[in-house]
Amino acid sequence: MKPIVKYSAPALALLGLALGGCQPNIDAPAAAAGSADFTSYVAVGNSLTSGYSDGGLYNEAQATSYPAILAQQFGKTGKGPASFMQPSFAPAQQDGSGYIKLQVVNGALAPVIPSAANSYLGEKLAATGSVLASGQLQLAAYSGAQPDNLGVPGISVLSSLSALTNGLAPYGLLNPFYERLLTAAEKPSKDYVTYIGQKTPTFFTCWMGNNDVLTYASNGGVASAADPFSNLTDTTRFGIGYRAILSTMSKRGTVAGIAANIPNVTGIPYFTTVPVATVIASIKANPQLPNAAAASLYITTGTGTVRVATSADLLTLTAQAVIGTASGTANPFPVGVGYSATQSNPLPSKYVLDEAEVAAVVARTTQLNAIIAKTARQNKVALADMNTFFTTVAQQGVAFNAVSNTAVFASGNLFGLDGVHPTPRGYALVANELIRNINNFYGASIPTVNINEYRGVVFPQ
Amino acid sequence: MTLKTLLLASGALLGSAATAAASGFQVNLGGQQNIGMGGVGVGLSLDQAAMFYNPGALAMVRANGVQVGANFALARGAYTSENGGAQRDLQHLLVTPFNLYAAFGKEGKYKFGVGVYTPYGSQLRYADNWEGRYSLTEINLQSVYVQPTFSYAFSPQFSVGVGVTMLAYGSVNLQKDIPLPTGPGHITLDGTTKFQMGVNAGLYFKPSDKLSLGISYRSKIDAQVKGGSVSYAGLPTGASAAAINRGFTATNFDATLPLPATASVGIGIMPTDRLTIGVDASLVFWSAYRTLDFNFSGNNGNAGTPTPANTGLVGGSTTSTSKRYYQDALAFRVGGQYKATEQLIVRLGSAYDFAAVKDGYVTPETPDAGRYIATAGLTYQPNPHLGIDASFQFERFAKRSQSQADLLNNGTTDRVAGTYRTDIFIPGIGVRYSF
Repeated sequence: MKPIVKYSAPALALLGLALGGCQPNIDAPAAAAGSADFTSYVAVGNSLTSGYSDGGLYNEAQATSYPAILAQQFGKTGKGPASFMQPSFAPAQQDGSGYIKLQVVNGALAPVIPSAANSYLGEKLAATGSVLASGQLQLAAYSGAQPDNLGVPGISVLSSLSALTNGLAPYGLLNPFYERLLTAAEKPSKDYVTYIGQKTPTFFTCWMGNNDVLTYASNGGVASAADPFSNLTDTTRFGIGYRAILSTMSKRGTVAGIAANIPNVTGIPYFTTVPVATVIASIKANPQLPNAAAASLYITTGTGTVRVATSADLLTLTAQAVIGTASGTANPFPVGVGYSATQSNPLPSKYVLDEAEVAAVVARTTQLNAIIAKTARQNKVALADMNTFFTTVAQQGVAFNAVSNTAVFASGNLFGLDGVHPTPRGYALVANELIRNINNFYGASIPTVNINEYRGVVFPQ
Repeated sequence: MTLKTLLLASGALLGSAATAAASGFQVNLGGQQNIGMGGVGVGLSLDQAAMFYNPGALAMVRANGVQVGANFALARGAYTSENGGAQRDLQHLLVTPFNLYAAFGKEGKYKFGVGVYTPYGSQLRYADNWEGRYSLTEINLQSVYVQPTFSYAFSPQFSVGVGVTMLAYGSVNLQKDIPLPTGPGHITLDGTTKFQMGVNAGLYFKPSDKLSLGISYRSKIDAQVKGGSVSYAGLPTGASAAAINRGFTATNFDATLPLPATASVGIGIMPTDRLTIGVDASLVFWSAYRTLDFNFSGNNGNAGTPTPANTGLVGGSTTSTSKRYYQDALAFRVGGQYKATEQLIVRLGSAYDFAAVKDGYVTPETPDAGRYIATAGLTYQPNPHLGIDASFQFERFAKRSQSQADLLNNGTTDRVAGTYRTDIFIPGIGVRYSF
């Protein structure tokens, strides 16, 4: 009995192994372009389109801008662009404008902004040393042919069409990211609508309008008299500008594309990372503060009123570094900035988007999104409702292949260290949402990407 | 033969219990003769493996005897992400479900026996760096039941039997990568189950020489792990260590996995002395498996001085729950054997197992699907006391796909979107000695 088992068992195992060599195969999911033609793709937009992340534009993040991811995925349909050019910086200047890094400060991880004092964190910057009329540092000129990713950090609909400001603010001389793309002759005169009109794509994406509310909001609802683009853009001029952009790109409704609307900016980590309740609790628990239990957080509202902050007010990410610092006036620490209404400085208005300002920003976003939706319809292009999408992500995060991603600052994987712009993974998520909308509108089946293959915030090892 | 020696004997075979060879992670590999016939057996009284298929039929098994069988399961699995990319193949593992029975008594009147078998189990190891690495990289689930059984025949036509199923050994080893901001880490949950008991009972009715009927029921046993170990690899050691590792303090876990009840009916048809045909239907009550919950405890000091608030954390949480929402799964089996000569019996069979896992709920640890099963077997009997049984079972799983949209809709985003396909090849061999 035993020898039989001894010899037949290995024989059977061998039989199994031979059969076990038959590996099942699964066909890859099919990809098709539907009624769209992606052979020449152009992306129009602002910092979100350029691949700006961590408070800067730099090659590594630009390589995973959502237009770059889209171009790559379009290629899988067999009708993708042969090449997709992005205005990157020279290798020796790969870190472009410089970007914020997470470093250990006083024993804890904190975002550190590159500056002369910290040797720009060792980054390879593209600054020329000159300063533009806007006060911003000039960046090294981009020398290649006109790129396909036309995203310009900082640009708004209002600043895209020079007629809207009567040509008084030549944007090509003010914005270093736009200035570096133009020739010397173009800088004083060529506005963005003219610039993007030079392209003749077969498909375009357009994500404009964010800065028409964000610039105002991120400055705590304080508009600068010197900067014509720092207020909430009015609906009239926004409508004129947006219609010009979209009809330019769609060649009056004959070129396929997709327009994305403006996400509600009040959900980004820039406004949610420093909650009023947490600040007040830490003030009241501060043992160094006389009468701490009676202290609170005082803010200056947009109308100049000084009052205690409430949970309806949104403190900016930058407020963190200001609250409780020595006030610099007659009453230095321990009565720091924001701690008291009377004895010292209340928190300046630019560090808080107060309740009324929040309402104004949200209302204007809704108005501008209505214009975007109507203009997209008129030009027969798809519309991606990034506002609804982002609201869902901000509220419940998005889990992908068993990885949880949220809108939490730094550790949530989706937003970079400026609290406003996505990380490469955030941009991959944007690309997937655009693909979903393109697939629906044009009957295409472009595969989405595995967003986990794109990084979140870089944590030091 | 005492229980202890049986366990020792089985220990030699216990490399790992099984790969899932029926719906969910059930393994329907009770006896080599039955396996050759598509896994039928509830309405038959072939050999001592009746203890597994229908304890009621044990009293009708002709001789006293001892038998042992082993199977060599080779699963070949493939996965393709919804996002495209390379196909990911399961790493090749050999797992060995086994069975062992001994019974004696008065022929046609009563019988005592004990069986040792592996009714549930699964072992899978996915390709390195596959898309689902943060859901699962590797699982090894084992269970061994020991079942003392008594069967009594009221008449030559009717017998009953009851066995006490004892979860004598059970173990779980679950591993996955953890998505840390500094790169992938790894977590291993490892534990053994508490001793639990249930029942396996059946009725057997043989109205004529040409027909027999059976019905059996095996109750659910909850495999409970208390104080299993939690271990980590790849946590950061440098600048980010303090910020990240404070969410990973747990050293132990508790979890419960239901090993569900099974109800079966079967018919045996013996048109001639040489030919036996069996038809079975069984229902596995997988709906008992609603969620897989882990409770974490212990403190490894990763968050500094241990406090109740920083104790028992995995990813910052003291519990984890994952939807399973299995559904009861039917299986239909049919098979026959033909006694070609006194020395040789040949067998063929086929079966279909419905999936226990619903659409949109497929997890990497059980890439379940409806499965087509084909089997063959033969017995060589050099003398009336000795039988050598060889069996071969092939299972082809239907292709199973789920999309990211399905996962979002079901709230099952703790697994991956994509397509699974699996084949399993299970050769087996057994020896019977009767006296």
